[in-house]
Amino acid sequence: MAAMVQRLRASVISTPTASLINLVGLAIVAVALVATAQRVYQGGATYFFQTLGFGLAQGAIFALVALGYTMVYGIIELINFAHGDVFTLGAFISLALMPVFGLNEGRISGAALILPLLGLFVVTMLICALVNVGIERVAYRPLRHAPRLAPLITAIGMSALLEGVMNVWRGPFNLHYPDFLPSTQIPIGGGVTIAAKAVMVIVVAVVLMVSLTLFVNRSKLGKAMRATAQDRDAAQLMGIDINRTISATFFIGAALAGAAGIIYGLYYNSVQAFDGFQYGLYAFTAAVFGGIGNIPGAALGGILIGVIYSISDGYFTVSWTQVLVFAILIFVLVFRPTGLLGMRVPEK
Amino acid sequence: MVRARGLAVLIVAAFVAFACGNAGGGTSSKGTIDIGSDLPTSGADASSGLPTQYGAAFAVSQAGTVKGFTLKFVPYDDAVNGKHDPTKGAQNLQQMLSDSKLLGMVGPFNSGVAAAEIPVANQAPLALISPSNTNECLTLAFDYCQKYAGYTAASLRPTGKNNYFRVAANDTFQGPAMADFAADTLGLKTIAVFDDQEPFGLGVANNFAKEFTKKGGTVVARQGFDTSSKPDFHAWLNKAKAAGAQGIYAGATSASYGCIARSQSQGIFDANSYYLGPDGIGDGQCIKDSGAMASDHMYATQGVADANSNTSAAATIAAYKKAHPSPDDTGAYTFAGYDCAAILIDAIGRAIDANGGNMPTRQQVIDQMAKTSNFAGLTGTYTLNDKGDPTTPALQVQQYKGGAWTTVKNIAVTV
Repeated sequence: MAAMVQRLRASVISTPTASLINLVGLAIVAVALVATAQRVYQGGATYFFQTLGFGLAQGAIFALVALGYTMVYGIIELINFAHGDVFTLGAFISLALMPVFGLNEGRISGAALILPLLGLFVVTMLICALVNVGIERVAYRPLRHAPRLAPLITAIGMSALLEGVMNVWRGPFNLHYPDFLPSTQIPIGGGVTIAAKAVMVIVVAVVLMVSLTLFVNRSKLGKAMRATAQDRDAAQLMGIDINRTISATFFIGAALAGAAGIIYGLYYNSVQAFDGFQYGLYAFTAAVFGGIGNIPGAALGGILIGVIYSISDGYFTVSWTQVLVFAILIFVLVFRPTGLLGMRVPEK
Repeated sequence: MVRARGLAVLIVAAFVAFACGNAGGGTSSKGTIDIGSDLPTSGADASSGLPTQYGAAFAVSQAGTVKGFTLKFVPYDDAVNGKHDPTKGAQNLQQMLSDSKLLGMVGPFNSGVAAAEIPVANQAPLALISPSNTNECLTLAFDYCQKYAGYTAASLRPTGKNNYFRVAANDTFQGPAMADFAADTLGLKTIAVFDDQEPFGLGVANNFAKEFTKKGGTVVARQGFDTSSKPDFHAWLNKAKAAGAQGIYAGATSASYGCIARSQSQGIFDANSYYLGPDGIGDGQCIKDSGAMASDHMYATQGVADANSNTSAAATIAAYKKAHPSPDDTGAYTFAGYDCAAILIDAIGRAIDANGGNMPTRQQVIDQMAKTSNFAGLTGTYTLNDKGDPTTPALQVQQYKGGAWTTVKNIAVTV
């Protein structure tokens, strides 16, 4: 598959019209970059870093959600539409668990927060992971050999089910999510500051992403996952338990989505039953952007979309932000059909 | 011979009807008249829709009967997935129309829903009276209506006759009232304005910006947000701050994330920066959404006067609060809802009289609604003009103070 795409691209690029398209593409990129650079220069450094901070924080959340999409797609070629809602479920579950960990808004702050928050992360991630494994067992595994559209429809059904459950549980209101992170600004030199909240979100997300990458690249289960993604039948012949490996993929993906849900709550202080739909959409876009099935690609795609989002909001106009995000996506896919870092999907 | 017998039957029938008419004041009821309501009473909009429904229901239960007919309140909910929905509103209206005993409707709550319902009700026809619709294009003709609201007062009324009434002051007052308050009372010079891209939010935001500029102030940033899902306001708020905004005007409602922007302005704006908006953000959900940024620097206009400042309303308000003790059950439009139902019942009563004590037609009720004059309600004295608007609408500015939205200024205007 990948080899075929390579060949296809090589043949496309060698034709004269294609090189013309390439030139035009490069020109558009250059003009856009110059226009942005000019505005960034006029705006000053503080404004730029603040805008960048918002983008990185939002992008980090997109990235965490995107990882689950990309892992699942990489291993069974399923767009798990329920993934965005597992993310929201993470925020809802953590909200319900807060009293258990003694996390009362206004009563607890500073270093005393670290342990309860850590506990909250672990338990929430675990519950989300188990829910997602359950979804896989009930809605996707029986359909593994069915036509591709069947599990896609059950995924949409699972998404609706999760949204419905959360809607009945807490109502469709915007729920207030406690504000534990400090609202201070951290100076990063030269009078430039960045919001502490944004920094924390980025740090936690990066730690989670790096540990995932290490896990997939170094551990035995990670190796099994990569093998299953590459060729399921051959992996099975080598003695890999396919069902267990796929379950593990859903488990890890959902754990990250659960963590993203908490981070989302802590960062935005507001969560609603239907929030996951939009985040799912952006995260899926991020996964395609970076190259679906590719773990570092999803992380990169998510962060890039967040940054494009905030740069557009901050320097241009909010009305065009969504158009811009998807225009860039189309642009990238025209020139790199496999995404920024290339697809990694099962060999057929 | 046949004709003579027919005449005799008619005479007997008329006599029976007359007799029943006389007996109307007695114990036996002449039948039931239904009063419908269409408000968003579930989900995020319920924080303002439900208290309004309670107000209307209370007026119906207090009246009990009208000229010998028993009154029944039939509430409908136009929220889908927790948000008011124009299509659902129009469906509710179709159901109400199929009920031949239903002679009028209180509602809708949202201008966007009204735009979908007025044409349906207009062709039926059915009298609608809204406690809270404020979009000016629903009743008045402005050259910008088609462009900004997507409809005109004429296009909403295919029959050319009016069937729609309201008691709230329209957005040509609500936006400018806050602009005057911001410039004159708060002394603000620079403000950033955003809207939720809905007819209501866009309308108040534009009218606010126009008046604020006229007062010598500067709108340093102006933005519309797609609120079909929750937006990230951070970068724009930062842009507004960098442009020198002293505060924000939110042309939005709590359901369209009007106060999420307040919460996200933490770390960008001070908690003591001003946050202004229309009636849509003057509710409890806004305060919950604002989180740590909720402060007494938040102000909202309401499209009706404060009923508490009307001394003759005190007894009714006390009775209502006894029946609905929870503070969440009394909203900014509760007593406007009460007044709408009372105006409708009053008009139905006059229509019954005009129809010789019989069940009036829906058109007769509309005719009497249009003749409403000096009706003493809880929130004011109402005379409805030929466009359906109150001739002396009143509004108020509320401040979030001591844990509640408190009236700081009543403003009376004359159309």
